[in-house]
Amino acid sequence: MSELATLARPYAEAVFKRAKEAGNSQEWSDTLAFLAAIVQDDSLAAIVNNPRVGQDKLTKLLLDICQEQFNGEANNFLKLLVENGRLTLAPQIAELFENYKAEDEGYVDVDVITAYALTKAEEQSFATSLKKKLNKKVNISTSIDKTLIGGFLVKAGDSVIDGSISGQLQQLAKRI
Amino acid sequence: MQLNPSEISDLIKKRIENFDVNVEAHTEGTVVSVADGIVRVHGLSEVMQGEMLEFPGDSYGMALNLERDSVGVVMLGAYQHITEGDTVKCTGKILEVPVGEALLGRVVDALGNPIDGKGEIDTNLMSPVEKIAPGVIARQSVDQPVQLGLKSIDSMIPVGRGQRELIIGDRQTGKTAIAVDAIINQKGTGVKCIYVAIGQKRSSIANVVRKLEEHGAMEHTIVVSATASESAALQFIAPYTGCSMGEYFRDLGEDALIIYDDLTKQAWAYRQMSLLLRRPPGREAYPGDVFYIHSRLLERASRINADEVEKLTNGKVKGKTGSLTALPIIETQGGDVSAFVPTNVISITDGQIFLESDLFNAGIRPAVNAGLSVSRVGGAAQTKVIKKLGGGIRLDLAQYRELAAFAQFASDLDEATRKQIERGQRVTELMKQNQYSPMSVAQMAVSLFAANEGFLDDLEVNKVRDFEDALQSYLKSEQPDLMAKINEKGDFNDEIKQGMKTAIESFIKTSSW
Repeated sequence: MSELATLARPYAEAVFKRAKEAGNSQEWSDTLAFLAAIVQDDSLAAIVNNPRVGQDKLTKLLLDICQEQFNGEANNFLKLLVENGRLTLAPQIAELFENYKAEDEGYVDVDVITAYALTKAEEQSFATSLKKKLNKKVNISTSIDKTLIGGFLVKAGDSVIDGSISGQLQQLAKRI
Repeated sequence: MQLNPSEISDLIKKRIENFDVNVEAHTEGTVVSVADGIVRVHGLSEVMQGEMLEFPGDSYGMALNLERDSVGVVMLGAYQHITEGDTVKCTGKILEVPVGEALLGRVVDALGNPIDGKGEIDTNLMSPVEKIAPGVIARQSVDQPVQLGLKSIDSMIPVGRGQRELIIGDRQTGKTAIAVDAIINQKGTGVKCIYVAIGQKRSSIANVVRKLEEHGAMEHTIVVSATASESAALQFIAPYTGCSMGEYFRDLGEDALIIYDDLTKQAWAYRQMSLLLRRPPGREAYPGDVFYIHSRLLERASRINADEVEKLTNGKVKGKTGSLTALPIIETQGGDVSAFVPTNVISITDGQIFLESDLFNAGIRPAVNAGLSVSRVGGAAQTKVIKKLGGGIRLDLAQYRELAAFAQFASDLDEATRKQIERGQRVTELMKQNQYSPMSVAQMAVSLFAANEGFLDDLEVNKVRDFEDALQSYLKSEQPDLMAKINEKGDFNDEIKQGMKTAIESFIKTSSW
């Protein structure tokens, strides 16, 4: 995983810079997400990884699939990836691109996991307090995990704020 | 210690009462790969170099390589249950071990957990394993001796409190024996000892511990053990662990002695870790910072002044200096001291005790090579009486070494040369000493005095040791006052000189050996 991220970084960086210049980062974001999705598709993955399928054929095939979604620059990017044999990096490129985009626009994706469903008001208060704490706009998505027993678990990137009962029980178990 | 169930539940209840629930914030990552005790972790964007990381199943690792997209972690202990995708948590702490008086008499592993089956260690004090050595202002020069109890070493290669003196030699030359004798001799002197065993057989460690117990030396000793069967990471950390335990005593204004047995194995463990972490190999495949692992460790052995002790104890201890003396051990291969690690450690330490297999096999034990062994700072710390009497011994041996090659043609040599050879043979014989029988300052002084004054010259070489043994037991029973007087101050004056002379003369008149 880690080495793939290293390989994908220059591509993601280049795309991001280009997108910023052209001011169409949302469009690029969709493009990369689509590319990542088709590369991960089982039937296509078999073709992408098949050495017998020539570069020309592969490019043509992919361009056919993506025709409606892609503009000229995206087509060029696709060709470049095929030429360099880095098509399989598409998911990592998409992920890194999203990171750059989020950083640039100053928001973070935050997962709030709770044992019971949150009310609108609670969600709102989470949003405001997290915004204060992280100093960024937050993009909250919530999910429910009964194993937490109670409380909440907030995940923003690598950092985790563990206010759940199960987490506290683990701490207590360790202390004893 | 036996606990009944109600006590246990009381203990647990107390813990629960004291437990303050707080919301915990930390950074997380995921395991990417596990191989050979090295785990690569993705994420952990805020991890520190050397930080402890928590893995599932209550195991811990130490972050060593911080790279752009991953963190290289060495596992401390078992790692078989860790799988790809496991969550790793930052703890925000550098590795810490328990320290304190409660550790004395115990055998612990590299993380400070007891392994001697004597129950929990009753201490709340923790100390990080990696600390920066005391600064220039905090230090004081070495001027008090550590008596190792070995004639050949205390007379010719004295060690002072706060000194780093290397013990170097091939396998089976008695390196550990010197260390164990040194620990035994600290009994009743207030010097706390730490014996760090790195990469040794469990049976050897058990032997050392048993010998220390037999000689009543375990009460003032901590044994830190990272055996050959433990992971490279633990073998690498063990010396730092021991050092932290020793620094505790030093910082309280007491004296401590630490033995690293041996640092070659620590360097091997570090080499293994580094190569697995894909750091570039250098000379003898050691990583570039192999010098630094030993220099930063040995720098922590030091003598600190009373002001520093006062500061470190918040004014509780006044007017006492603290010291940590280190005796690192290095094993050479085929007597090659110019290999990488031996040269490094020789250059770091304040002198070395060089042991030779030839001498060992010739029956000269301890097999100290007096010509190659030096102590760069110990002279200032040597007891006066030993310093006075030891000077002659050193000279005798040096002259003897030059002439030893001619010893076979003794009959053809002139009188002066023959005398020197004979004196040398007797002094060499006198320098032999049995294991586990360290000597006091007075005992040493008398033996050295007898050699200096020529009392040995009329003896046959193979009778020298019998003479010495008989002399020592005579003095012990007949002249306890004289011995006590020498031991008390270690001074050498005309009165003591005369006392020793008459005692030896009366011994020769009245006794047989």
